Amino acid sequence: MSKIESYFHTDWAAMTAYDWGGMILTIVIFVALAVTFFNALRPKNAKELEEQRMTPLRDDE
Amino acid sequence: MDTVVKPQYNDGVVKAFTLAAIVFLVLGTFFGTYAASELAWPFLNFDTAEITFGRLRVIHTNTVIYAFGGNVLMATAFYIVQRTNGRPLYSNKLAWVQFFAFQAGLLLAVITLALGMSQAKEYHELEWPLDIAVALVWVLFTFNFTMTIAERDKQKVPHIYVANWFFFGLLIMVTYLWVLNALSVPVSLFRSYSLFSGVQDAMIQWWWGHNAVGFFLTAGFLGIMYYFVPKQAQRPIYSYRLSVIHFWSLMFGYVWLGAHHLQYTALPDWVGSLGAVISLAMIIPSWGGALNGMLTLSGAWDRLRTDYILRFLIMSLAFYAMSTFEGPVMAAKSVNALSHYTDWTIGHVHSGALGWVAMVSIGAVYHMTMKLWKTEMYSMSLINFHFWLATIGTVFYIVAMWVSGIMQGLMWRAYDDYGTLAYTFAESVAAMHPYYVMRAIGGILFTAGAAVMLYNMIMTIRMANARQTQLAHA
Repeated sequence: MSKIESYFHTDWAAMTAYDWGGMILTIVIFVALAVTFFNALRPKNAKELEEQRMTPLRDDE
Repeated sequence: MDTVVKPQYNDGVVKAFTLAAIVFLVLGTFFGTYAASELAWPFLNFDTAEITFGRLRVIHTNTVIYAFGGNVLMATAFYIVQRTNGRPLYSNKLAWVQFFAFQAGLLLAVITLALGMSQAKEYHELEWPLDIAVALVWVLFTFNFTMTIAERDKQKVPHIYVANWFFFGLLIMVTYLWVLNALSVPVSLFRSYSLFSGVQDAMIQWWWGHNAVGFFLTAGFLGIMYYFVPKQAQRPIYSYRLSVIHFWSLMFGYVWLGAHHLQYTALPDWVGSLGAVISLAMIIPSWGGALNGMLTLSGAWDRLRTDYILRFLIMSLAFYAMSTFEGPVMAAKSVNALSHYTDWTIGHVHSGALGWVAMVSIGAVYHMTMKLWKTEMYSMSLINFHFWLATIGTVFYIVAMWVSGIMQGLMWRAYDDYGTLAYTFAESVAAMHPYYVMRAIGGILFTAGAAVMLYNMIMTIRMANARQTQLAHA
């Protein structure tokens, strides 16, 4: 096993329920963040989002 | 002809939180300066248990974080949520209950901590009855804030402005972090023991501890930044999309960082490494946010010459950028081996606390004071004077701690030719004396600035009240 392989080696059989829960949650959050960033940076959404910049300047004072 | 009816905001409670915040800023920085002076001149504790460094330091941290920071967050959250959602608070009465309960809790906190009643958990020292009381006040705050947004006119205000997101993140995260870290077994009215033990207790404590910084001392104050920087600059925020990315990265990134406080301990090595890696990654959203605030001034930088309140806000962003770079560097294992347990950490905390949290709060409070009492400040020159006292005081403080911290780290790890320690611990303490004096001077300058601010605010309010009385008689 190369050094890289041994570094990334995972003993799947030893994973506990907590390990699986943590890993699944991490992947879900990673995907959710990727989708959020994609939507925030998508040129199609730029106008709608950037319009909100004016909110503090539009209030009563 | 159509008439636009301006919403009647509940500003009385916002005024009360604002004034309380500045009173506690003066008290909290005074306690801190006195505690710092005790390290330079130990006779100052006068052999009185209640004011020894061990107790006074905790009173200082609780006063500045919860009494000053908490009151600022409550004032600004209620100020912003009403204005960005175009409606008064969901319940003004509930907000007043929150105000009085919070101030009573803070008073009891100072008394119990001075008497030595403490859970001995960093930033979470209060014993269990007060712990529960604080949680209940926080739930009231969360409920009132959330309901104010939920009951807005969704036709008029379809989008919730990003400053509210940061406050909402603060409210949710602090609730569950506080409650989990507080889980303990009470053995008497003022004594309890943590439900966790050993390395799990340490991990839970620093998971809370760093998130107290990340959510209590960062997220809410970013909410302040996203409202008050555009407002004071009279320019829209540089990029709304960047603020969205900043928000979500902060919410899901910060929770991983706590483990970097436990490098080289019984905690599994990979957990510390993970904490350090995510800490380094957090530079990107943090700097994105700082740049977003600073670039709001693009094309109008000249305003910094004349607008002293804007100076506070922009200087706070410079310190935010600096401390969010310094923190991840200190989390890296090789740097941590030198910096941990030294005064460098204290310097880092204060570049964030004085430079970022206090300065952004001060800028926001000056802005709000003029709007809430519908008047100009009593003296703009005093704001300028305050700015320089605060800035020079902060720089004195952090430079002193950088030098003493790095010197401590180097002295503790120095070996002689025989492999024994080159310096005793007492020798390293003696070497710190000039830097502890310098830190005390920095504290005195910052506290003096806070006192100038309180004086300026009181005179402004008196001036506004006198004018209103004159108008009533006219």
